[in-house]
Amino acid sequence: MLAQLLITSLVFGSIYALMALAMSITYKASEIPNFAQGEMAMISTYVTFVALSSFGMNFTLAILLTVAFAFVLGILLEFAFLRRAKDPTPLSYIVITIGFQLMLYGLAGWKWGSDQRQINLPFSESKVLYQTDSFAITELNLVTILIAVIVLILIYLLIQKTKLGLAMKACQQNVNAARMNGIPSDRILAISFGISSIVGATAGVLVAPLITLDPTMMWDPLLKGFAAAVLGGMKSLYGVVIGGFLLGIVENLFGFYISIEFKSVVAFLIIVIVLYFRPSGLFDKHYVRKV
Amino acid sequence: MGQLFQVHNLTKRFGGLTAINNLTFEVEEKEIFSIIGPNGAGKSTVFNCINGLYKPEEGTMLFKKQDLVGKRPDQIASLGIARTFQNLELFANMTTLDNLMLGRHKAMKAGIFSIAGLSIRRSPAAREEMANRRKVEEIIDFLELESARDVYVANLPYGKQKLVELGRALAMEPELILLDEPAAGLTQEEKEEMIYSIRDIRDLLGITVILIEHNMQMVKYISDRILAINFGKMITCGDVEDVLNHPEVISAYLGEETEEDVNTINE
Amino acid sequence: MRDLKTDYFEDIQLFRNKVQLFWCVVLLLFLFSYPFLVKAYYLTVFNLMAVNIIVALGLNLLIGNTGQISLGHAGFVAIGAYTTVLLLKSGVPFIVALIAAAIAAGFFGLLLGIPSLKLEGPYLAIATLAFGLAVTIIIGRMDFLGGRMGFSVPKINLTWTGLNYDRSLYYVILIITIISVFVARNILKSRIGRSFQAIRDSDIAASAIGVNITRYKLYSFAISAFYAGVAGSLWALYLGFINPTLFTFILSINFLAIVVIGGLGFITGSILGAVVMTYLNLQLQNVPDIPVIGPLLQQFSEAFMMPTGITNISWVLTGLILILIVLFEPLGLYGIWLRIRIYWKRWPF
Repeated sequence: MLAQLLITSLVFGSIYALMALAMSITYKASEIPNFAQGEMAMISTYVTFVALSSFGMNFTLAILLTVAFAFVLGILLEFAFLRRAKDPTPLSYIVITIGFQLMLYGLAGWKWGSDQRQINLPFSESKVLYQTDSFAITELNLVTILIAVIVLILIYLLIQKTKLGLAMKACQQNVNAARMNGIPSDRILAISFGISSIVGATAGVLVAPLITLDPTMMWDPLLKGFAAAVLGGMKSLYGVVIGGFLLGIVENLFGFYISIEFKSVVAFLIIVIVLYFRPSGLFDKHYVRKV
Repeated sequence: MGQLFQVHNLTKRFGGLTAINNLTFEVEEKEIFSIIGPNGAGKSTVFNCINGLYKPEEGTMLFKKQDLVGKRPDQIASLGIARTFQNLELFANMTTLDNLMLGRHKAMKAGIFSIAGLSIRRSPAAREEMANRRKVEEIIDFLELESARDVYVANLPYGKQKLVELGRALAMEPELILLDEPAAGLTQEEKEEMIYSIRDIRDLLGITVILIEHNMQMVKYISDRILAINFGKMITCGDVEDVLNHPEVISAYLGEETEEDVNTINE
Repeated sequence: MRDLKTDYFEDIQLFRNKVQLFWCVVLLLFLFSYPFLVKAYYLTVFNLMAVNIIVALGLNLLIGNTGQISLGHAGFVAIGAYTTVLLLKSGVPFIVALIAAAIAAGFFGLLLGIPSLKLEGPYLAIATLAFGLAVTIIIGRMDFLGGRMGFSVPKINLTWTGLNYDRSLYYVILIITIISVFVARNILKSRIGRSFQAIRDSDIAASAIGVNITRYKLYSFAISAFYAGVAGSLWALYLGFINPTLFTFILSINFLAIVVIGGLGFITGSILGAVVMTYLNLQLQNVPDIPVIGPLLQQFSEAFMMPTGITNISWVLTGLILILIVLFEPLGLYGIWLRIRIYWKRWPF
């Protein structure tokens, strides 16, 4: 049974890790916690759904379309709203992303209603790949974990090995210095939002078959992903990924051994306790203002 | 005159860096005591330790026979120590009046239940508010801040902001006031006014002053005694002339000089 | 022309001048005769506004004045509502239940405040969010709290007023709202309110002048939650039923929207925000009935969207207004109101 639990944990851990990573990419770049991340992923998932069901596109094409859409959506948020803020405070950024979240949530509800829909990916939950007495891996489980790992590696390579990654890091360290050295910091920030939106959309498409597709589908993954990011320390990319898997494991073990009822509560309880002892998460340094 | 404040063997480290190293000094009642030293010598760190923002690793700081080490900033404030900051820490989105009234925070007692009656003239809360307002108006008079009274502090010019911060510290009616570079960034005229204000604080209000300042003219003119530090260590401490002519102080400010350099200069 | 002040008390008295006093009396007269001027439905509208005003007052104290964000206020409202209902069911008089509800919520505010002391920005946001969600989940799983089905709320005895139930309830809510506004205003004018703002503007300086940061942050959380508790109590009372789905994360967001749109840090802002946003949201529940644009939206909806999803326009609009306010008028509706007043005073210049 433990093995089966571990698989479930890894599947949900992957989703949480992707959402956490998406949050972390933009937070690291701009100190903006993006509350619209979940709704952006939800809308992107609807794009996949429409492309597959309504237009009958093939899967690859639908995914490419979704990636393009998610990228543009991320850039839109940064370019159209966040960049326009005058004398922004941390709160005003939070409010802008919440505003964007409400808009997307409303639009999705307006366009698709609150019906729960089934998204048909080419890999199914019912097809069992490997089975023993104690556990079974379905096709969807495996694909979810694999894709999550691939995305994590891609993001790692992007940040560590490319010029774009270097520019992103430079902007995080010191925007003005980066700008003076000829890095178009605004564009880099917009691209960060685009990339983060793609990562979020991946989580959305992967989680949609596990739960059902409706406008509220990303609430839980977003909150868990956010929680995982906070647990790991919003600015540490490794931290948030570890936080995501950790949360998936703790949650499922608690759900099985102690109480399925309070499974969701325990995640948040852990967050509050961790934050009490480490106010900037497990893997991030706490910064105290100097006078 | 007795000693008001004694620092003994104070040491503060940040990781491997020793910002203050075994520092000992005393401040007499009602004197103007200056701390000088080059940039990064640890002057502001001394203030941050006294005021409780930093917790020193070793040493004692006795203020009126009470050790300040381990006390919170607000506890230290209520013992009668006020301070200003090098880079202004004002309540920018409040008026000058409210900033100064905040200086009266510790003097006021109205609790969560009695303030419900604030808008009734004879209520204890309203009476307390008005009595403290009177005190604040005295300080506004003293620093000539009338024109800034109802202005949001963020909209005031820098020189006025410095005065507001000083006023806020004075509103606390402290026995000891720590001024961190009060004249930095001021115009010549404002500097002179600041010098008079600091003198008046001591002479008229009877408050002991510890001052951090880079402007040597001002230090020379205003101080009773000076403490010179570098790399967190005391170079010397004593009367104005002695300290300012101390060879190590001169070299700390002008950089290391070889004998040849000195000879060259002398020639 | 500015009024010449001759007395320190004039800075703390309730009304700045006779004109202000006059308009307040007019407003009060209107509010007290309101139940006899309108249909019963509009009493509910007012009740909802009043509840939102009370939550907004408390939340604004926390966010606007102390600078601490909370995305979990629905949790405090829930605690207030459930405490009230449980006590009413066991026969406790309403006034006692109300006070107990507020104290219970305030206590949880204090409890949440403790781990939140060191937290900032997103960390505080997630901690409060987590709290709000946890409250709803726990309530939904507790049988003695009615579980997912919730409770119906017993009617309280208001026959002594000699009016019908709806009108009596209206007056109860009105009076509590007025008291709430009055107390919030005095808190803000007092040393406690100033300490909150000191923490918001510079916590380091606040501690250096003797403000005990820990204590005042906790005060702020507790007072804010206390207000939410009062609101929850009243909400349960006029709604007649409560269940966990009322107190979602989106409700907390809605409260935040009210405060931000109204004007952070200002009591008038809380009131304006609550009145305008409540009215707007109610109107948008019946989009086709809105003159001129209603039918247009209806047609658009039928052509491109899902007609049953048309109420979602209220979310789109709330989101849009939130963003526009932050981008163009950070003081919110209160800022707009100030501009209008200045324009009016200077007219025709």
